[in-house]
Amino acid sequence: MRTLKTSEAASLLNVSPNTLRAWERRFGYPHPQRSPGKHRLYTHGEVAALRDALQEGLSISSAVSRAREALSADTNVLVGALHSFELDRADSAMEAALALRSVERSVEEVLLPSLTELGVRHGYSSAPWAFAAHWANEWLQRAQRLAPPPTRPASVLIGDATRDDLDPDNLNVRALELFCARAGARVLPLPVSGIMGLPEVLSAFSPHAVVIAGSHVADDDVARWAYGVRSAAGALPIALFHRGARDDRVRTTGARMLSDTPSEAHREVMGMIEARQARPPVAAPSIATTETGTEADDAPHMRRRSVGM
Amino acid sequence: MSGHAGAHLRLVPAVAEPQPRKTFCGHCGEEPKTEQYGRVCESCGLGVLLTTNADCAPGPGDPFLIVDGSLCVCALSSVAEELLGVDETEAVNRHLSEFLVPADAEASGADNLMDLVIHAASDDSQARTAVVRAPDEFGVRFRAQVGACGPPRAALLVLSDGWD
Repeated sequence: MRTLKTSEAASLLNVSPNTLRAWERRFGYPHPQRSPGKHRLYTHGEVAALRDALQEGLSISSAVSRAREALSADTNVLVGALHSFELDRADSAMEAALALRSVERSVEEVLLPSLTELGVRHGYSSAPWAFAAHWANEWLQRAQRLAPPPTRPASVLIGDATRDDLDPDNLNVRALELFCARAGARVLPLPVSGIMGLPEVLSAFSPHAVVIAGSHVADDDVARWAYGVRSAAGALPIALFHRGARDDRVRTTGARMLSDTPSEAHREVMGMIEARQARPPVAAPSIATTETGTEADDAPHMRRRSVGM
Repeated sequence: MSGHAGAHLRLVPAVAEPQPRKTFCGHCGEEPKTEQYGRVCESCGLGVLLTTNADCAPGPGDPFLIVDGSLCVCALSSVAEELLGVDETEAVNRHLSEFLVPADAEASGADNLMDLVIHAASDDSQARTAVVRAPDEFGVRFRAQVGACGPPRAALLVLSDGWD
């Protein structure tokens, strides 16, 4: 994917850099990513689409609308490919999306909306959905294999509470895994149903944050797993992702509810880890002190309260 | 010979004097400050530069709308945003009748607002005038001067409350 600095994008559009930033505030387009040094990086495809649309548009708003439509064509191509069970064409649609966007935006703007459309159209228990979900899972796994090795001291433990690969939440969870990995973190997904041998795994992995993702597994089972994690790894910040919209879970456990979009959620997780690492060191953690309360929280009667996680 | 040549002679319509044209920003209404200008207004950066006949060109403080031949709103000046209580980003691609309707119930044919707009967006005719109001406002009426602008071809509605 080709990216442009602010001055390059402004030059391509024949406007000033200030105008480009004003468009970002007013129209949300073009939507830049940030370089490691926090500078704006525009995707060439977005800027080129806007340049073409400006020639035919009567206002910036209508040109932006037209440019967005041009970019959303990738979603239609992917839906069409998966609808007609053409895997090569589906791969090509994602390649085309990647030519214009980052991996994160290709997943969030093309892959996930296309799969949602197919799920709604055919039903989440249908064979076409299974076909499409299987392809999407494979694509996300391929992308994760191509992710650079971990570059920062951040380890995220994902408690997978989805049903299986066909669970509608599963692709969002896999996308969150991918985004965290691409942000340089180590990521370990574990099913929340597996408690046996958890301490050994966690002592080797040393997570800095725990994300419980998916809404299929019941609160009781999730709470048991979370207790196992806490017993083995001590107090850790806990966040919930695609775990339903029950605010009482957050109130009773102190866990943070992440945004529904994987890109926002991965930024929030990284923020949680950075905030924790920025804190001055305290006395060695004991199992008696938790991130959200004291040992009293782990008493049996309180443990029942924490099932809301 | 002369009769043969006469067969080729015929009256041609008089060439009309070209009307003076004016370029303006579709958002702030300002004219470009230099002769060499791009597609986007350098004053506000939020509008596209369009051209229209000088007699119906809006000024910087005028509320105006740009509407295409399918009666969809394409642009709204900053003053029109305030007047109609809607941002341009929300108004684009919506039907004109969501924002303005004819106030003169008896106007028909060429005086009908929608006809005027379609005509202006498809033919470079003289600017015409209609009386309009917001759909949910019955007491407040505006005079709308409807002309053509572009490129691409569209209708320009400049609103005012003057009746002279």
